[in-house]
Amino acid sequence: MNNKDLDIYVLIKQVPDTRSKAGVNPDGTIDRAKAGKMLNPFDAYALQAALNAKKMGGPNSKVTAVTMGPPPAIDILYQALEHGADNTLMLSDRRLAASDTLATSYALCQTLEYAFKQNGRPGDLIFCGLQTTDGDTAQVGPEISERLDFTQITYCEDFSISDNEVHAKKIIEGGTQLVKAQLPSLITIANSYQKLKFKTLRGAQFVQDIKRSSKEEQAKFVEIIDLDACHAEELRCGLAGSPTIVSKTWKIGVVGGNCKMHQGKSVPDLVGEVVQGLPILEEFVKI
Amino acid sequence: MHNTDRIEYDIALVGGSPSNLSLAHTLLEKAKANPDLKFSIAILEKAKDFGSHIVSGAVVNPSIFNKVYPNHVADNMPIEAICNKSYFSIMGTEKKWDVPSLITRAAAPDFCKEGYYILTLSQVVSWMAKQLMEKVKDVPNVKIDFFPGFAATEVVYEAEKVVGVKVDRTGNDQDDILYAKLTCFGDKGFLSKDIIKKFNLETNPQIWSVGVKETWKLAEHSEDLKGKVWHTLGYPTLDGTLGGGFIYGLQNKRLTIGLVISLDSENPNIHPQKQLQEYKKHPWLQKVLEGAELMHYGAAVLPEGGYASLPKKFQVDGAIFLGDALGLLDVKSLAGVDKAIESGYLAAKVAYGAVAADDFSEARLSKYQTKLLESPYMDKFKENRYFRKAFGENPELLRDYLPTVLESVDKTGSPYIGSVKLGLENPVKRAKAALRAAQLLNNAKELKEEVTYKAGYLHIDPDFDKDLIARCASDKDFAKNTVYNREDAVFYANTHYDEHPDHIDEFSAETCLSCIQRYEAKNLDVPCVSDCTAEVHRLDISDNNVKVHGMSLENCVQCRTCELVCPEQNLRVNPSYAGSGPDFIGL
Repeated sequence: MNNKDLDIYVLIKQVPDTRSKAGVNPDGTIDRAKAGKMLNPFDAYALQAALNAKKMGGPNSKVTAVTMGPPPAIDILYQALEHGADNTLMLSDRRLAASDTLATSYALCQTLEYAFKQNGRPGDLIFCGLQTTDGDTAQVGPEISERLDFTQITYCEDFSISDNEVHAKKIIEGGTQLVKAQLPSLITIANSYQKLKFKTLRGAQFVQDIKRSSKEEQAKFVEIIDLDACHAEELRCGLAGSPTIVSKTWKIGVVGGNCKMHQGKSVPDLVGEVVQGLPILEEFVKI
Repeated sequence: MHNTDRIEYDIALVGGSPSNLSLAHTLLEKAKANPDLKFSIAILEKAKDFGSHIVSGAVVNPSIFNKVYPNHVADNMPIEAICNKSYFSIMGTEKKWDVPSLITRAAAPDFCKEGYYILTLSQVVSWMAKQLMEKVKDVPNVKIDFFPGFAATEVVYEAEKVVGVKVDRTGNDQDDILYAKLTCFGDKGFLSKDIIKKFNLETNPQIWSVGVKETWKLAEHSEDLKGKVWHTLGYPTLDGTLGGGFIYGLQNKRLTIGLVISLDSENPNIHPQKQLQEYKKHPWLQKVLEGAELMHYGAAVLPEGGYASLPKKFQVDGAIFLGDALGLLDVKSLAGVDKAIESGYLAAKVAYGAVAADDFSEARLSKYQTKLLESPYMDKFKENRYFRKAFGENPELLRDYLPTVLESVDKTGSPYIGSVKLGLENPVKRAKAALRAAQLLNNAKELKEEVTYKAGYLHIDPDFDKDLIARCASDKDFAKNTVYNREDAVFYANTHYDEHPDHIDEFSAETCLSCIQRYEAKNLDVPCVSDCTAEVHRLDISDNNVKVHGMSLENCVQCRTCELVCPEQNLRVNPSYAGSGPDFIGL
C-alpha cells in the first residue's frame, strides 16, 4: 500500500478490574483506590485497531496512546508501549476528578490538540473503544470527534485505509453498513473486532529499558501533562465542568450468591441433580 | 521508537526454572564484586507468571538453599513445612504397611526425609524471580530483562553455534529472534532435545515418567499432617509399571497427593489421572480426606533416566543445559531440585568467566560439565545409577513379587508372610534375584556395569494383558467428592488460552488413523487418549464414519505425556504462546 504516513492516536482508559470488587464513595462515585486496575477491555480492541492501522500507513506512521487519569494509570501506557505503540501521553490533574463525559471529552480534546501541536500537525486517525466498563456511556468518542471536527465512524468492526479515506464496516441495528469517510477520522471500535494480540518481544524489552532509564528519557515516551500544559479551562473540567448529576448510587445486593457446583458425576446424574426441586426443569427433562 | 537492530543479550535463559533462576541469582552475586564488568541477561518464561507452569513434589534438601540462597529464611522463601517424620509405605488394596524406620534407614535411606524442606515449588520459583527483580536494582552493571509469557519456540544456529532462540511470531526475524552469546536451557526438553539430537549428544535415551498431583484443603477437625511425608509403593500401580505415590503434609491443613508413573511401561493405557483417583480410594486416604476439598490439580513429566541418560556433553558452542534439560532427577532418592539449583550455581561461575573473557566456545564452557560432575550433589546421583536397570532387567520384581507382597499386607497387615512365600516357591532363584537387586539398588558404588535403556517407545506392539490393568480397579466404598473425572480435574489446573491454541503438532493424520485402528483391533485405547492428563486427546467420528484423532487444546496442561507415549512419535508439544496454559501457582 502506498499510503502516506499516518499519525494515529488511540484513547485508552484504566478502569477498575472487572474481576475485583469496587467500592462506592458516599457521594455516589466509584472508589477507584480500592479496586484492582486494568486496561478498559473495550480499549484493547481500539489499541489493536490502531496498531493495525499503522501497518496500513507509510513507513513512518506512528501510534500514540493517550489517557486521562490518576498517576497509576501510567501502567496502561506502558502496556500500550509493550504492544507496539510508539509514544504515549497522559493528562493527569486532580482538578479532573469526577468529570462527566462532557468534561472528559473537553479535557481529552485539549490533550489531543496539545499533541497535534507538539507534533507539528493534526492527527489523521483517532481510535476509541466502544465504551468503558466503569461508565458505559459510549459518548466520549463521538463527543471528541464533534469537538475536533473529525469524521466519525462508530461501532466499527473492520476497516481499511486508502488514499485519504477510511472504508469501514460498522454495526447497525439489524445488520452491518459499509461506509467511507475522509481523514481525519475518529473511529470507535466494536468488541467484535480482532482481540488485542499479546505484547511483542521488542515492546516488552523497550518498556523494561525505559523503566530503568532517567526521568528525562522516560518523558520522551511517556509524557505526563496537566490542565495548564494543554490550556484547558479549569471550570470546564472536573465536577465544575460536569452538568451530569449523580443523585444516588446504591448497591443492588449480592449477585449470584447461592451458586452450587455440580461435578464429578456422569452427565445424566448431573442433570438429575440440577433439575431436582425445579418443577419447570423437571418437566422439560422428562420431555 | 523501535530500533531496527537485533534484540541481543549476553546471556539468554530459556525457562524460568529453579536452575536458570539460581544461575541468574549467582551471576548477580558475582557481578557485585566487579562493577566494571557489564552484561545483560534475558529470562524467557512461557507461563504468564514465573512459577505458573512449575509443578513438582517437592521435598528438598535444605543444604542447597543454604549454599545458593544463604539468606533464604530471612528473605521469606515460602517453605510449607520441615519434614518431621517420613514414611516409606507399602500400599495394599486394603491396608497400608509403613516400613519400620529401622529397616528404611538401613535398606532405603533415600526415603528418610526428616529435616528436609517440603516446598510448593511453583511458589518458590515465583519467589526466586521476585528476589531477582529486587536484587538487580542494586547491581547497576547487570541488566536483567524478564519476559514472562514469552516462550522460546526454536533454537537459532549460525555456523553450528547456538546464537539464540526464536521467540515472537511477528514474521520479522529482527523482531522475533532473541540473540545471545550464551543461551542456557533449563527447559523440560521442549527445545533442548533438538540440540541434543542435532549434535548427537544422547548416550541413553531419556526415560520419562508422568507425575500427577493434587493439593487438598483438609477438614478443620482433621489431624494436622504438617511436616509428614509418605512415599508409597504398590496400589494402585500394579501392572508391573514402575511408579509410586507421595503424600506431603503442608501448612494450613493442606495436603499434597501425587503419583509418579513411568512412561516406559508396557501397558499402553496408563491412565495417570484415573490412577490418582484410584489411589485416593484407598481406605487410609479416604479417612485422611474425609471432609477435604480439592484445591489444585496438575501434571508434568519427569526425566527418570538419571545418570545413565546424561548427554555426552552438557554444553555446545554458545549454549549449556541445566536441570531438567540435562535430566538431573534422581528417581531413587526422589530428588532433582537440589541438583538443578546446583547446576545453575555452577553454570553461573562458568558463565561469568565466559562473559569476562568474551569467550562462549564449547571448550571454555566445558568447565561446567567438569565442575558439575565433580559436585558432591552428584555423588548420590551416580551411586543410584542402576536403579532403573534393577527393575528393567528383572520385570518380575514389580509384576509378580510386588502383588504377592501386597496381598500379604492386605491379609496380615505386613509383607512378611508374602515374602517368605515368595522365597519358598523358588528359593535359589528368588535369593539370587534379591541379592542382585540389592546390589544394583544399594551397593553399586564399585559396580562398573553398562547401562542401556531400550531406545524410545516407537512402534510398541499393543500386546498387553488386560487382566493386569483390571487389578487397579477398586470397587470399595469411597466418598464421591474425593474422586474427580478428568474433565472436572482440568478445571482445577486453571488452564487459560487466549488465542486459538495450536501448540501440539500432529505430523500425519494417516499415522494417527492406522494407530487408532491397530489399538482398536486389540480392544485397547490409543495411548494419547488414555494417558492424557487433561482431556486433550480424543477420538472423533469423521464424516465417512471413521475414528480420527482430535484435540481439545484449550484443556492442555502442557505436561508433554502424549508426545512421549505416542507409539508413532507423531506428536510434538510446543511451548504455547502468550503465557497461556495452566496456572499451577499453589500446586
